[in-house]
Amino acid sequence: MKLKPIGLLIAGACLIAACATVKVESPTGTEPPLATEAVLASTPEADKCLACHTDKQRLIDTAKPVELAEAESKGVG
Amino acid sequence: MAPLEPWEKVLVDAGKFLPTDHGQIACMECHNGVQASEKEAAHVGLIASPSSEPEKYCGGECHSEQVATYPFALHSTQQGYWTALEARGGSHPALDEMFGNHCATCHTTCGECHVSQPKNVGGGLFTGHVFETTPPMTRSCTACHGSRVGNEFLGKNEGIPGDVHFREARMNCVKCHEGEDMHGTATDAMTAEVNRFAGTESPKCVDCHEEAAPNGDNNPMHQVHGDTLSCQVCHSVTYTSCDGCHVAVSETSGNPFFETDATYQTFLIGRNPIQSEERPYAFVPVRHTPVTADAYEYYGENLLPNFNAAPTWVYSTPHNIQKNTAQNISCETCHNGDASIFLTADKVRPEEMEANLSVIVESLPPMLTLEQTLNAPTTPASHLEHASNSCTACHTKGIRNAPVSPEDHVIYKDRNCSGCHKLQK
Repeated sequence: MKLKPIGLLIAGACLIAACATVKVESPTGTEPPLATEAVLASTPEADKCLACHTDKQRLIDTAKPVELAEAESKGVG
Repeated sequence: MAPLEPWEKVLVDAGKFLPTDHGQIACMECHNGVQASEKEAAHVGLIASPSSEPEKYCGGECHSEQVATYPFALHSTQQGYWTALEARGGSHPALDEMFGNHCATCHTTCGECHVSQPKNVGGGLFTGHVFETTPPMTRSCTACHGSRVGNEFLGKNEGIPGDVHFREARMNCVKCHEGEDMHGTATDAMTAEVNRFAGTESPKCVDCHEEAAPNGDNNPMHQVHGDTLSCQVCHSVTYTSCDGCHVAVSETSGNPFFETDATYQTFLIGRNPIQSEERPYAFVPVRHTPVTADAYEYYGENLLPNFNAAPTWVYSTPHNIQKNTAQNISCETCHNGDASIFLTADKVRPEEMEANLSVIVESLPPMLTLEQTLNAPTTPASHLEHASNSCTACHTKGIRNAPVSPEDHVIYKDRNCSGCHKLQK
């Protein structure tokens, strides 16, 4: 009866080990792996460029005022 | 196309963009810049338009095929402008300066078709930075090609219907103008196109309308005119011509500007000034380009010394195709009919007469019945081997027992015998 928990432990360890060796195939075998920093950077939380450029209000607030130049060309271009 | 607000132009749609292939690449991989919270600091070293250097940012394993040809494609080289400029003006530093100020803005990068509106029309991302395989027509193609092609195709000229391919089939530009036409096929400057009408006719109407090719169907118009008239002669309607464009740099703002004297609607059939094996048509619709001998006077005197070297009424392919038009309703419209639809000398300005000698129609097509045309004797197949392409050399006087052409044929000269006298199969 004392061996039961040990048996369960061994079985659990085997299962974990089996999961760890599962090889995940890339859906496109020839696709080169993405650079780690690229993947990490591609979220608004991690990338300051995206954080600003996905934030409409921030873009409105920081946009350069448009200087409306008078159109000097005349006729159809 | 409504102008975009500044923020709208640079707003990235994370939900749409990030799951795409390009969304997997970190911003700074292409745009450089700095990871900083403040705009000014973040934009130090920014590359706003990475595809200005396609070899560096677009090639590699992804788009190497397009990157190999695009630097030699017309959207990139703008060689069409140069070909016309060099024909009339040769090479001159003042023309280079003029080109840089007024023409170079039409140079197009990969991104200006596939991710944002062209800079020339104000820029701005199409769909939150999503790269569009097919450029959106009105925000990309007709944003630049608007005043003539766009307005004609979309039916924006008052009272003139849009192109049947758009009205009836809702076709967009790329249905006919495929990637190869846009990205080019040449991989070096020597074989690059000199203008859009050089080389193979592409797109070609008969690629889809096979039945309309010479001997392709029972339509007598196609049989008689299939290889002597471009399709647009019978199937296009009124289109835009322009006069007198002059360019200069503003004294007040320092910005380059242009002024055209007039814009008007025309439909005129002229002789084909660029007849070739690829474009064998004797007649084509011609459009007036706004070039004048003093168009670039601001940059120097007499910059177009060979002004007459190229016509001002040019080969044209109006983008307002209709199945039925005023001119294809009957033979009589052209044959002894409506002189107003031909570019006769009286419609050409005296100062442009010499430049347009190759285009002006000297005499209108004489009256012919369809039966006469279809029953005209064929040209012997052996004539293909004739060194001379001048039919009248033999057929006016009956040299070598050649049948003498009737007196009323004098009007045809050499240019279109094959219109009726088809080559024997």
